[in-house]
Amino acid sequence: MVLSTNTVAITGFVVLFALMLLRVPVGMAMGLVGVTGYSYLTGAEPALKLVALTSMRTVTDYTFGVIPMFLLMGAFVSKSGVSRELFRAANTLVGHLKGGLGIATIVACGGFAAICGSSVATAATFSTVAYPEMRRYGYPQAFSTGVIAAGGTLGAMLPPSTVLAVYGIITQQDIGKLFIAGIIPGILAMSMYVTTIAVIVMVRPGLLPAGTASSWTERRQALRDVWAPLLLFAFVIGGLYGGLFTPTEAGGVGAGGAFILGVLRRRLTRGDIREALLQATRTAAAVFTVLIGALLFGYFLTITQTPQKLTEFLTGLGLGRYWVLTLIMLMYIALGCLMDAMAMIILTVPIIFPVITSLGFDPIWFGVIIVMTVELGLIHPPVGMNVFVIKSVVKNVSFTTIFKGVIPFVITDLLRLTILISFPIIAIYLPGRMG
Amino acid sequence: MDDKLKRSFMDSVINSIEWLAALFVGIVAADIFISVLLRYFFAVQIPDGYDFGRLLLGILIFWGIAATSYRGTHITVDLVWGAGGPRMRRAMDIFATLVLLFVVTVHTATLYDKVRSTYAENLVTYDLKLPIWPFFAVAWIGDVSAVVLIAIRTYQLIFSPELVGGRHETDAGK
Repeated sequence: MVLSTNTVAITGFVVLFALMLLRVPVGMAMGLVGVTGYSYLTGAEPALKLVALTSMRTVTDYTFGVIPMFLLMGAFVSKSGVSRELFRAANTLVGHLKGGLGIATIVACGGFAAICGSSVATAATFSTVAYPEMRRYGYPQAFSTGVIAAGGTLGAMLPPSTVLAVYGIITQQDIGKLFIAGIIPGILAMSMYVTTIAVIVMVRPGLLPAGTASSWTERRQALRDVWAPLLLFAFVIGGLYGGLFTPTEAGGVGAGGAFILGVLRRRLTRGDIREALLQATRTAAAVFTVLIGALLFGYFLTITQTPQKLTEFLTGLGLGRYWVLTLIMLMYIALGCLMDAMAMIILTVPIIFPVITSLGFDPIWFGVIIVMTVELGLIHPPVGMNVFVIKSVVKNVSFTTIFKGVIPFVITDLLRLTILISFPIIAIYLPGRMG
Repeated sequence: MDDKLKRSFMDSVINSIEWLAALFVGIVAADIFISVLLRYFFAVQIPDGYDFGRLLLGILIFWGIAATSYRGTHITVDLVWGAGGPRMRRAMDIFATLVLLFVVTVHTATLYDKVRSTYAENLVTYDLKLPIWPFFAVAWIGDVSAVVLIAIRTYQLIFSPELVGGRHETDAGK
């Protein structure tokens, strides 16, 4: 019996989801299903040839080096204790205001996320840095954990973002432009989170008490500690924007710079350096496994013409492009209940991307939109990876409490998503002016 | 050898593999950093800096995958696993590791062909005309070690689950 390509495609997806739910690593499941399906339709020999060709081409592609390089930069910066310094600096400036510690957390999360590029790492770090401080001043548990969970999501938007880099690789978009496209939406996110805190203070003035005011000397001293890493970030992203470096070079310069700064400022011990190198290696290996799997699965999608068929189906519904976009985003929000951001992007973007381009949406803008949507999954129930991370650090808090604290920020995120869809220029203005 | 010794022996093997991969990350970063500095300040470039960078990247990823596979730190969907009891979790871990072993073994076999064909085609680097196949061979050895380590992990999961270490946190996928 010979199965039609449609049947093979559907069977492939069913098997893929089953394997993933059985905890087979996402990349391995995608690779296995992709190669098996491809070999069923074209023969085993060409399928097996693809395996070595694709994996070797992926791991030796200089462009893809952007991922380990920025991971290494983030790891060096994390190990240098920058998170604590950023929080201290922000706290000296706004800590004396009602809700000021929350605002300081958001600002410091933004600064830290911008350098380290990882949402989960940001949430984990600030659970130890900002949470005890907020609790010391009597901030409720729900707010304290909620603001950290939300602040952590800034990691995927502000450059350099690992998720945006992976999106760029899969869709063959300019990674540099994607990084730059995240700047204004990232700043918008920070501003809107700060506004949310201000609204909470207005509605319930006694909820978030003011902290101690700092003297100007203390402020100057705190700012002196953070100028170097912020300058490095500005140099790396500025160089990328100005066309001085390719994204991979920017990552390498960032990693080298973070290492030198850490050593010169005596913030990096030999053990820290070793840990940072190991951390970057582990994460890079995990991301590359998924990338190789996704590329192998991509051949299967191509031969079964799944993206084209889905495009025909969705555009044939006669809904109009914004309704199709809404459907796609609802699907992402639903998927966010099942899997993490990276897995979602890698699994779905190869199928969805042709639909988006055929509807005339800008691919760079869509990258920002899609990353923002999957980031919502990091804080909404039942999976909410950031929530799990915070829970693993702050033991005496329940999931329900954290999710309660996150609600105002989820509403803010939905509002921000609407703004970005209504005004795409927010995301595409800067990339359009790149050198 | 008692369990504690076995575990500490395995840990040192894995740590060495991971450390080797981590060293390559450092070398690639240094290669890129120095290349950029030399280009902008002295208008010179490291011969084959580009090729070394990408070939070392390949090596570090395959060696990194070996350690990641043994430690069980790949990106996974933990929804069902997280909701299950210890027996179900163990069964799922064994199944997932067997699939992993199969996939990586097939990959290693196909990669061997790639190393051979690169050798036969006599592919060389751009500037120094160094043969590329030794780099591929080192990467392939990383893949072979992945097969060995996953086989050990599978054996441990089935017969000595107490020897299998817990997950190490990675921040992939965020």
